[in-house]
Amino acid sequence: MNRPEGFPRNHADLSPLDGARLLAIFVDELIPGAENWPPASMAGVHGIVAMRICDASGQGDLSDLLDAILAAGGLTESGSPEERASVVAKVETANNALFERVRAAVFLAYYETPFVTQAIRRLGRPYASRPHIAGYTMRPFDPARDTPGHNRGFYVSTNDVRPVDTSGLNLDRTHTERWGIER
Amino acid sequence: MSNERICDVLIVGAGATGSLAALVLAKAGLDVVCLEQGSWVEPQDHPHLHADWAWQRRTKWSPDVNKRSHADDYPVKSDSSQILMWNGVGGSTNVYGAIWPRYRPSDFRKGTEHGLQPDWPISYEDVAPFYEEADKLVGVSGLAGDRAMPPREACPTRAMPPSKVAQRLGAAFDKLDWHWWPVEAGAISEDYDGRPACNNCGICNGCPRGSMSKYSMSIWPKALEAGTELRINARVLKVEKGTDGRATGALYIDRNTGQKHFQRAKLVIVAANGIGTPRLLLASDNLANSSDQVGRNLLHHTLVGVEMWVDEPVDGHIGYVASLISRQFAETDVSRGFVNGFNFNCITSTSSAGELAAGWFTSAKAPWGKEHHSWFERHFGHSIGVFAIGDDLPNPENRVTLDPVLRDSDGVPAAVTHYQPGENDKRMMNYMLDRLEDLAKAAGAFDYSLHDYRDQEGVYRTPAWHMIGTCRMGADPANSVVNKWNQAWDVPNLFIVDGSVLATGGVVNPTPTISALALRAAGYIRDNFESLTTASRSVQAA
Repeated sequence: MNRPEGFPRNHADLSPLDGARLLAIFVDELIPGAENWPPASMAGVHGIVAMRICDASGQGDLSDLLDAILAAGGLTESGSPEERASVVAKVETANNALFERVRAAVFLAYYETPFVTQAIRRLGRPYASRPHIAGYTMRPFDPARDTPGHNRGFYVSTNDVRPVDTSGLNLDRTHTERWGIER
Repeated sequence: MSNERICDVLIVGAGATGSLAALVLAKAGLDVVCLEQGSWVEPQDHPHLHADWAWQRRTKWSPDVNKRSHADDYPVKSDSSQILMWNGVGGSTNVYGAIWPRYRPSDFRKGTEHGLQPDWPISYEDVAPFYEEADKLVGVSGLAGDRAMPPREACPTRAMPPSKVAQRLGAAFDKLDWHWWPVEAGAISEDYDGRPACNNCGICNGCPRGSMSKYSMSIWPKALEAGTELRINARVLKVEKGTDGRATGALYIDRNTGQKHFQRAKLVIVAANGIGTPRLLLASDNLANSSDQVGRNLLHHTLVGVEMWVDEPVDGHIGYVASLISRQFAETDVSRGFVNGFNFNCITSTSSAGELAAGWFTSAKAPWGKEHHSWFERHFGHSIGVFAIGDDLPNPENRVTLDPVLRDSDGVPAAVTHYQPGENDKRMMNYMLDRLEDLAKAAGAFDYSLHDYRDQEGVYRTPAWHMIGTCRMGADPANSVVNKWNQAWDVPNLFIVDGSVLATGGVVNPTPTISALALRAAGYIRDNFESLTTASRSVQAA
């Protein structure tokens, strides 16, 4: 993207209005509007996120985010959808840890808002933003109906614990280097 | 400043076990003082009542002591684990999930079984009556009759409402011919003991209603009524010992005034959890540590998990956090390539739509951009989580030590923890992951995401709710810290009643066992108080 003359190069060049506008466009790239769903900025997400990341890091994360967006080419409402998505993708790649923190903050803030809570309920699922207040209705456990019908399960009683043969395990001599999901 | 009053029993820590000990001993008419470095957490303090509760759960209400910034905490440095706890009245029950399974008989006999862990000096049968007592005090829901466990009395309240998640997973277990059972919970499904039944809100990180047993609401009111004197914001700096080898009391600081006091006592109980207790003993001139076992053998359990998504809506965001437990693999079977076993703790899902989108406990999360909403619509209400939790082997180098430089705000050295899974643990976790994959497929998941808690560098960073084994119980003073009555071998009027005494971890969440053992130890102190006030040596193994 070609930068026009006078295009801001870092957050210090941004007016408060431009900073807020830039963050609003950014959060809308993360969560755009769609049928049933308000875009993130319309739900007020950019303000919530700005406060939270400043709470967490001082001004640092917010400044770094604005700088990262500007370094990636900046975001404008007049830019094409492809250009805006490209800028966000660059931010994600170049500043991944920061991006992931902000992404989580954006997603959490979005789904907290009453507008989005309403949109979730329109999907047909019960959902409350503060479910602890009234809870959810569930059918009580009925022993006659809900007791498992299988006869599986056993335990070794205290007196029946016997030594097992561990000689084939070689726990002292082998070392599992590849373990976990990346085996 | 010195307090001339000599109380009968001084308890350090007002968490789960401190509260139970206080209740038993104060009811017996003893003069009980409890010192708690934190303060009360009032119901209205909890994040549950606010729309931003999910954000708060990640920040100032995070159970991770290193992610929140709270004045009641002390620093814990770890090169591996996430250190999860709460410092305050009720301890970590302010933020826990209260899954409430018991140990199995074989958990107490691992020395006999394979020798890679010690036998406990007590058996399941010694603890069983206290499980029942704890359940009644705490308020538990569940269903008796599980063939995979010894018989038990009926739970005080019926099992939690059967969720769609439970039905889906139950069918999957049936397909695999694996055991499953409704989970026992330290939460009440019916009104009980003056507390209201769970309202199925799903935010099971503590419970300001008191439906889930937050010990500050279930136990402490009774302990206070019985006469316990609870001093909050009272951080113990040191437990002191006299020339006769007996504990004399504790030096503490009133964090409100900055004044130091010494509380004298005939008997001292430490109940500061599996990190706080070894930290305090080590900071008290290496108290009760002639065996060099204080702080060693830190256990967290092996832990891996899967998040799966199924086509049919299961509304996992509603209802108590856990649904089922499977004990199919709980006992040792060396043909699997390792000793010990594991359980499946089947949970529901996150109760937060935002958390589901942002990433719950695996790496799965909603994409940003134009695909975001379709991902959410496909996944929300379709999510199920399952953890596999197993019995890790003790390693003396997995331990709690003191930082040589870093101190808390009152000058006590910070705790340092190191934990690394061993060969048996790694093999077990590989096996657990494979079985979780089997389960996801049997459940008909259209997608699933496994999680092994390893970071990008491969370090196992388990969420360590379970910090146990660091002052373990044993029959031999040479390789344990306390005897079968939780009495320190080296200091006959010093008792340790928290999770640090667990000699093995079992395959379950430890709070029920820790609570039962605390009740058992407190009963012993009550029944032998006079002799304990003069004893010059601890009781040897019977």
